[in-house]
Amino acid sequence: MVNFTIDEIRGLMDKKKNIRNMSVIAHVDHGKSTLTDSLVSKAGIIASAKAGEARFTDTRKDEQERCITIKSTAISLFYEIPAKDFAFIQQEKEEDRHFLINLIDSPGHVDFSSEVTAALRVTDGALVVVDCVSGVCVQTETVLRQAIAERIKPILFMNKMDRALLELQLEQEDMFQTFQRIVENVNVIIATYSTEDGPMGDIQVDPTQGTVGFGAGLHGWAFTLKEFAEMYSSKFKIEVPKLMKRFWGDNFYSAAEKKWSTNQGQGYVRGFCQFVLDPIFKVVQSIMNFRKEEYLKLIEKLNIKIPVEDKEKIEPGGKPLMKAVMKAWLPAGDTLLSMIAVHLPSPVTAQKYRTEMLYEGPHDDEAFIAMKSCDPNGPLMMYISKMVPTSDKGRFFAFGRVFSGTVATGQKARIMGPNYVPGKKEDLCVKAIQRTILMMGRYTEPIENVPCGNICGLVGVDQFLVKTGTITTFENAHNLKVMKFSVSPVVRVAVEAKNPADLPKLVEGLKRLAKSDPMVQCIIEESGEHIVAGAGELHLEICLKDLEEDHACIPIKVSDPVVSYRETVVDESSEMCLSKSPNKHNRLFMKAVPMPDGLPDDIDKNEVNARQDFKIRARYLTEKYEYDVTEARKIWCFGPEGTGPNLFIDCTKGVQYLNEIKDSVVAGFQWATKEGPMAEENVRGVRFNLYDVTLHADAIHRGGGQIIPTARRCLYACMLTASPRFFEPVYLVEIQCPESAVGGIYGVLNRRRGVVIEEAQVAGTPMFVVKAHLPVNESFGFTADLRSNTGGQAFPQCVFDHWQVLNGSPVDANSKTRQVLDDTRKRKGLKEGLPELDQYLDKL
Amino acid sequence: MKVIALVSGGKDSVFNMMECVRNGHEIVALANLRPPITDNELDSYMYQSVGSELLDMYAEAMDIPMYRASISGKVLNTNLDYEPSDGDEVEDLFQLLGRIKQEIKLKHGFDAEGVSSGAILSTYQKNRVENICQRLGMTSLAFLWERNQTELLNEMIASGINAILIKVACYGLEPEKHLGKTIKEMKTYLVELEKEFGANVCGEGGEYETFTLDCPLFTKRIVIDHFDVKIHSNDAFAKVGYLVFKKFHLENK
Repeated sequence: MVNFTIDEIRGLMDKKKNIRNMSVIAHVDHGKSTLTDSLVSKAGIIASAKAGEARFTDTRKDEQERCITIKSTAISLFYEIPAKDFAFIQQEKEEDRHFLINLIDSPGHVDFSSEVTAALRVTDGALVVVDCVSGVCVQTETVLRQAIAERIKPILFMNKMDRALLELQLEQEDMFQTFQRIVENVNVIIATYSTEDGPMGDIQVDPTQGTVGFGAGLHGWAFTLKEFAEMYSSKFKIEVPKLMKRFWGDNFYSAAEKKWSTNQGQGYVRGFCQFVLDPIFKVVQSIMNFRKEEYLKLIEKLNIKIPVEDKEKIEPGGKPLMKAVMKAWLPAGDTLLSMIAVHLPSPVTAQKYRTEMLYEGPHDDEAFIAMKSCDPNGPLMMYISKMVPTSDKGRFFAFGRVFSGTVATGQKARIMGPNYVPGKKEDLCVKAIQRTILMMGRYTEPIENVPCGNICGLVGVDQFLVKTGTITTFENAHNLKVMKFSVSPVVRVAVEAKNPADLPKLVEGLKRLAKSDPMVQCIIEESGEHIVAGAGELHLEICLKDLEEDHACIPIKVSDPVVSYRETVVDESSEMCLSKSPNKHNRLFMKAVPMPDGLPDDIDKNEVNARQDFKIRARYLTEKYEYDVTEARKIWCFGPEGTGPNLFIDCTKGVQYLNEIKDSVVAGFQWATKEGPMAEENVRGVRFNLYDVTLHADAIHRGGGQIIPTARRCLYACMLTASPRFFEPVYLVEIQCPESAVGGIYGVLNRRRGVVIEEAQVAGTPMFVVKAHLPVNESFGFTADLRSNTGGQAFPQCVFDHWQVLNGSPVDANSKTRQVLDDTRKRKGLKEGLPELDQYLDKL
Repeated sequence: MKVIALVSGGKDSVFNMMECVRNGHEIVALANLRPPITDNELDSYMYQSVGSELLDMYAEAMDIPMYRASISGKVLNTNLDYEPSDGDEVEDLFQLLGRIKQEIKLKHGFDAEGVSSGAILSTYQKNRVENICQRLGMTSLAFLWERNQTELLNEMIASGINAILIKVACYGLEPEKHLGKTIKEMKTYLVELEKEFGANVCGEGGEYETFTLDCPLFTKRIVIDHFDVKIHSNDAFAKVGYLVFKKFHLENK
């Protein structure tokens, strides 16, 4: 640990080329927090007064009990890079070898991936940790995909090598194959979501470049090929970078002939095995097998300096000594910090290519230019990515990244929420920043100001922002883009206070809960029910616990979880739907059609969005989905919320005054797609075509009050005549288990409408991985069920995967669709039964 | 000017009569077109038809002769500008006004020169009234034209007009809840609706229609003893409904 005064830390913040903002991301249980601990114990900056207190990133009691990370936590590290490594830094750097590394440890469980999204937004690089025994898992892919989408450069760390060595007893060649496969798998994911000539350049990970680390976080040791190349460089008289290439892939060495070859001939051994794995195997095996003479020699030969406090372990040998020796030989902290400093981008480097993706405004205004050049003297642009509860109940620190300018205590700034539109006053507050603070683990320290490129907390902003927002001093600034989460809040429960008199406390508690978690939604239904919606069972469990214990502080009753559905259609409307305005003088004619497969997902992924140039968008829709190009150019809007996966397209020809009613129709569309006709669930995957309109000649008789409800009715009629259906959310489940448990898994999945899509053995291990699609509705209690049917050997990970049409017409009283409709309407306090078409449809 | 007042019973036509009087004109006759007996609500582009069962009492309440005719025409020309066309509902008004003018001339020997109407913002209706006036050589008097609706509503309430809502056709106005309420009671809510999605405070876009039960020009006031709510179209979001008056009488002031 490094003890610094606030002034010293503040000094480091100005050297923006030597700052690294990074997150640690991985699948659950791949060892992020343990690895992070080894970095913190080596380089964590703590204010002098707080030195000596323990445990950093897992700050909550339940995190320590459950051994999982729930909330992401930021800490600052100080690193003085050795001169030899300093030379490896290719990007712009200061004339100074001191580095400030802001690290965010994020949760690995899929239910908390919104925390990961929030962490990625404020960082520029990511350390992707993969357990080399389990390999690349579903969440590895999810977080990596998110990282690339946010333009975060990844480096890879192969963790838990100790397990491969000691538990699986892998041979050297097998271990190489395992590593190579993981590197390939990671690169396949990277290649899928990025291109080599993309804005970040080539971001594939490559051991020969030093962007892949290997080691055991638990034992505190790690290395890259660079460490070994340096050991042998003088012996071979080959430069380090060149030698690193020899130590990977198909490069073989013959000790007898003292020659390298790319073919594995007689007497030739793979470079990686010979020079990297062999020494490690020798050290580990000799110590674990208590061959004292052998290991003493090795310790001396490798020049390993065992620290004084570990000297007593030399005599007995075994695991304690192995840990001590490996840690002294290949200290994880140094290796990782050097990887981070050398390979991850500084804010100066990263903001050059990230700004265009982050900023919603024009690409030549003051804010954009200042962000792109990371200018501390430019206007302030800061993104608040999450709210962190303070010790003061009900208040929050707004946590975020300064992209340009300098944020200071007492500074007057514009606080803009996600719904702010430049030039308007909604979702905007102009207030002074009460205090800027440094956030280090669970400790906070006031600091006078924080320049761009850094991460910090603000006091007093929580009253004006719900969850996220943009803070700026530039009057014409647009918003920084809102974060897109990879999971949706598809599981919901209703909560009520056990004691009805506590209702106000519950309401207040729900407000705080909504603030404290980036993803959770707290909604009040028309029936008066309070709904909490989360990404999965575990996420909800944690949220409800927080609600009960921290936010509301009252006993609460929780209903059984229910799933949120989407409404859609599977046919084209069977007739041209006409609705008349209340004054009967305006008529709208429309039809609904289902979108082609893939288009709703493209909209979710922002491939097709409301802000695109209409010509580019039309070309995309024409080429990929065979939309008529003239129609594709006349998309009026997306919905709900102006961005959702439904389209309203103007297919009319030469209608007078049409533009005047556009706003009203759009408002009706937003409304209708937010609350669909069947059960007021969101609508998904429906394209609405407006074919004709007859309007009252006088503008006064075709205002919003006339057109908005008419548009909504017409859209409902369109859906009801187009075979309406529900989409139900489906999880992708990944289950790891030994072969003997596979049978039990199938049994459980079958009972729960699960469909197995893949079953494979994890190469080099006796473990099996089963992948299946499981309706979210059937997933409650799935984990417990699975454990009891497999003797506790199977561990599932569920991540939201896609929406699936629920078969059966809502008209059929015995169908599943009808059952969902009835249940949902009843729960929401709506009138029973499928709404009558003639409420919406008018006759000519 | 001697003025023939077009009255629908609505607050606007009544208030315009008051404005005519205030500006020194004299109202010599009332004119109204009523729907054919078979149907109470025509969804006409021009005329308010709801409440017409009460309108005959205006003659007695104001002590001014009332001339009425049935609407026989249909909506033929829906353009903003009006060209005379046979069989259009506008022609019914043309004929009625022509007849009144003639009768007044015969009876009293003077010419009615002005036509009072309550149009505020409907260019459609104003154009039609003006077209008729021009053909009859009369002057259209529309004092409310393009006035601010919120101000206007306040003035009406302040001037002593007691009008109730008799038809609603707009999102946010519900038959069961709002019909029969006075404009005074509704004012705050109407202003809210305007803020929310631009509804017209005075109902000029057809959001609602009113019937005036009393105003300073009346010597007797109308009292409603019994009415029914009739749902015209069971629209899911903007139910259209109106009042049918079953029993009513005049009362001395």
